[in-house]
Amino acid sequence: MLRRTFLATGVAAVALTALAPALRAEMAAGITAPVTISFYSYNLASAGLNNDTTMGLINDFMAENPLIKVEPIGAPSNEILSRVQADIVAGQEPDLAQLVFRDLIYAADDLGAEALEDLAGDELAAHAEGMVPSGLDLGRVDGKTYGLAYTFSTPVMFINADIFREAGLDPKNPPKTWAEVKEAGMAIQQKTDKYGFFPGAFGPIDGTFVYQSIVMSNGGIVREGNTLTFADQPAADAVAMLRDLRDSGAYAEIDPASHMDTFAAGKLGMFLFTSAVQNRFIKAADGKFELEVAAMPSFGDKPTAPTNSGSALFLLSKDPVKQRAAWELMKFLTSKHAYTQITSKIGYLPLRLDIVDDPQYLKPWVDAHPMIQPNLEQLTRLTPNMAFAGPNYRQVENMMKDAATEAVLGDEDPYEVLRRAQVQAQALMPADG
Amino acid sequence: MTDAVAPSAIRAPARLLPRVQVAPWLYLLPTLAVLFVWIYLPLFQSFQLSFTQWNMLPTKTPKPVGWANYRNLLALPELRQAALNTVWYVVGLLPLSVVIPLAVAILTQDLTGRLRNLYRALIFIPMIVPPIVAAVLWRWLLNEDYGLVNHIIAGLGFPTVKFFQNPDIALWTMVWITGWKLMGFSTLLLSAANGTIDPGYLEAARMDGANRWQITRDIRLPLLSPTILLLVMMTVLFGAQWSFVYINAITDGGPMGATTNIFFLMWKYGFQTFSAGWSATAGIMTFVTFGLLALLFLGLSRKVAFHDN
Amino acid sequence: MTTRSRATTVATHGAMILLVLTAVVPVYWMIVTAFRPEIEIFSLRLLPQQPTLENFAFVLTAIPMLKMLGNTFVMAAATALAQILTGLFAAYALTCWRFPGGKVVQSLIALSWLVPFQVTMIPNYVLSTKLGLLNTTTGLVLPNAAAAFAVLVLVNAMKSFPRQVIEAARMDDAGHWRILWEIIVPNLRPAIASLGVLAFISAWNEYFWPLLLIRKIEDSVVQIGLQMFMTQEGNQWGPLMAAATLASLPVFGLYLVLHRQVIDSFMKSGLK
Repeated sequence: MLRRTFLATGVAAVALTALAPALRAEMAAGITAPVTISFYSYNLASAGLNNDTTMGLINDFMAENPLIKVEPIGAPSNEILSRVQADIVAGQEPDLAQLVFRDLIYAADDLGAEALEDLAGDELAAHAEGMVPSGLDLGRVDGKTYGLAYTFSTPVMFINADIFREAGLDPKNPPKTWAEVKEAGMAIQQKTDKYGFFPGAFGPIDGTFVYQSIVMSNGGIVREGNTLTFADQPAADAVAMLRDLRDSGAYAEIDPASHMDTFAAGKLGMFLFTSAVQNRFIKAADGKFELEVAAMPSFGDKPTAPTNSGSALFLLSKDPVKQRAAWELMKFLTSKHAYTQITSKIGYLPLRLDIVDDPQYLKPWVDAHPMIQPNLEQLTRLTPNMAFAGPNYRQVENMMKDAATEAVLGDEDPYEVLRRAQVQAQALMPADG
Repeated sequence: MTDAVAPSAIRAPARLLPRVQVAPWLYLLPTLAVLFVWIYLPLFQSFQLSFTQWNMLPTKTPKPVGWANYRNLLALPELRQAALNTVWYVVGLLPLSVVIPLAVAILTQDLTGRLRNLYRALIFIPMIVPPIVAAVLWRWLLNEDYGLVNHIIAGLGFPTVKFFQNPDIALWTMVWITGWKLMGFSTLLLSAANGTIDPGYLEAARMDGANRWQITRDIRLPLLSPTILLLVMMTVLFGAQWSFVYINAITDGGPMGATTNIFFLMWKYGFQTFSAGWSATAGIMTFVTFGLLALLFLGLSRKVAFHDN
Repeated sequence: MTTRSRATTVATHGAMILLVLTAVVPVYWMIVTAFRPEIEIFSLRLLPQQPTLENFAFVLTAIPMLKMLGNTFVMAAATALAQILTGLFAAYALTCWRFPGGKVVQSLIALSWLVPFQVTMIPNYVLSTKLGLLNTTTGLVLPNAAAAFAVLVLVNAMKSFPRQVIEAARMDDAGHWRILWEIIVPNLRPAIASLGVLAFISAWNEYFWPLLLIRKIEDSVVQIGLQMFMTQEGNQWGPLMAAATLASLPVFGLYLVLHRQVIDSFMKSGLK
């Protein structure tokens, strides 16, 4: 909630004294004296495994680097950007922050995140080895890495096998295309008192990545440069397909603010949403219904283009020694050890695929948890989620989201709704490019 | 009645300090200091910011834009829907925040002590539930698929209700949640006021042969009128704002803007864009609008207060 | 008793019971869910079949809940006390003196209530940082140490206080300080108690300001703790409800205690 309120007003003087030094200082080569850095993470604001695992990693890091002390600061994921921004305004200088991808361009342009190539060129190349290349791409703006991909997940199709069986469907052979989703959804709607299909793309819970995944799987894209294209042909067709699902009854008209609970309560047959909730669903389904996980559906035989939800690490520190400390922490948090912990305990994807087959790291866990497979398979086709640029980027994204929602759930012509919103939103985009 | 107290109260300090009275200002100092430093100073800074375009970050500099922020916000097409919704929020809240609590305070007055206290204590309970918990609880209870309320509705043979998805119902659902939380607060205030009514008046009226309704109408209601007015005023001034937590936690203003009120709209458009100028503008506009309304009420309350002499 | 008044009484009880049910059922749901095992979370049964304490155990191990409850209690009590004190002084000045600027000051105090918190938060955060108030209870309390609501309620209460009593005291040459503390305050106990309860609750429910000001989780307050069970990736219902129950208990206890006080004070004022 804070995200907006933070900007509410301010004391110019303080902000101005916090003006960054004019000259870029070189990052220190090493740490020779004790130093304290701050690490802002939304995983720290989530009780249980998320917090415990992240704290565990921080403690491991401090044990390995006794000169560096990490001050962990947690804030919910929808408020963390505002938290970071408020601290910059107040002169508190955050050093390292975990931010979501939608804020990528803003972090690079406005928050003053460091380009890692400028800061640690060779070290970055060495560290990036073994990381999923398309994952790394996600943190780039104009060819430079401002965000180092960190926690990650893709949309997968959660399936309630009991509902499938009740509707006379085979849960071991889940729908692979949208046409099959429609068929299965209608079958569930007609033969059971449960709901067919819901995409976690709309409503108060952030699902833009699900929406973008569907659009891009149809060959569409939401913007090209600074020109909005979400109402153009392939992108709008994808939305029209969802509208058709809705009109057919395959689409579940449930409260979008509680879609996860509707699924967990065993009332929904198919749910397309982030794989990050997989562990929670496994727990919720235990003893209640049988859970299956499938890859996201495709448009005919076009390959799907799953994009990601999740976060990258941004280095915000201006002090050379703190930059070094923050960089070391960044490397540690994206190491084989860290991803083993993050994947097995929190449930995000490992961005280092070599650890999946390594018995020293993730192999035993992957063998025991086959449900991660569709998700791992999708990683190879990972397509960058589009963040928007300019001071109004959040508003543009909202207008697009609202229009898509109205196109699917309203009564007007979906193409017309999208077109209207695109014209309105284009006015808020930066003029260039 | 301030006037009635003043002459006698003034005399003593006036002897010591002939012209400027220091004592009242000393008594006011703590309050004024806090309000000045933590409210009026930032408000003034906001006022200045509302004429600039800036995200407050040291990487950018404030750009003066004159009245553009005000013009832009006022030109928003959604403003009319949100303004109308705001009125509905207030209208919908009044029965929950004033009428029902008033009835409870008066009805329970004549009940025997123990039961009366029990009722009042229980009605107050929603007040102690943290707002965010109230939001998720009601979202759950009213859910169409697994919520208790719809389960009961279906059990009675009625069709289930889409409390949050139906644009015609969603706003009233939000009003209900806001009001549910407020009932206890209003009941407490009104019961406190009702309790301070001198029983002598009531006894005298009863001796004169007045019945319950007459006592209520001619004695209780007039004596309660300052508190009633206070509650009406608070509902008008803050009702829509109190709904903010629930709109934000449950519907995000949807479906299709149906639950968006002026506070949520300003928040969404003004604060979502990371533009300090816009949000400052929204804040100033909100403050001025409701400030004028408040002054109106203050004038009105003086009249009512005079009336009970 | 006539049939008619008996019918009225029955109707009164009926209406009250309905209202009470509306008020209580959601809270009952909160408490009962706190005792449900994971598998029964979405069950519509009124009682869990296998009640469990695992949610409470989880809450106590996953976050420093008891420490947070303690922090919140100190913060809320200090805020309520501060608001009552500053409110009493200001209300006394506004009701017992007539002085130039009095009306304007009262309006300014009332209007401060209308300033949206979104406007004041960032500048106040910047100021708190400068004053070294980060991570301190003082920093949590100070911006809320005076409240328009408190002043207005007390002004209202003092206005209806019988003037003869004050005049009599003035005849005895009692000072303002003594009049306030020995005559007015004891007689305003119902108002002060209600105000205390409300100020305490509103401070107890504060979320945004602590989120900003407190950097360490063990120095934080319960609302932040509650939020840790609610994420974009879904709510942990059982623990959330257990935490919410724990977070509501102290406030409820306080209310029960003070509610009796309020009633007692009614009785006393009735004897006059």
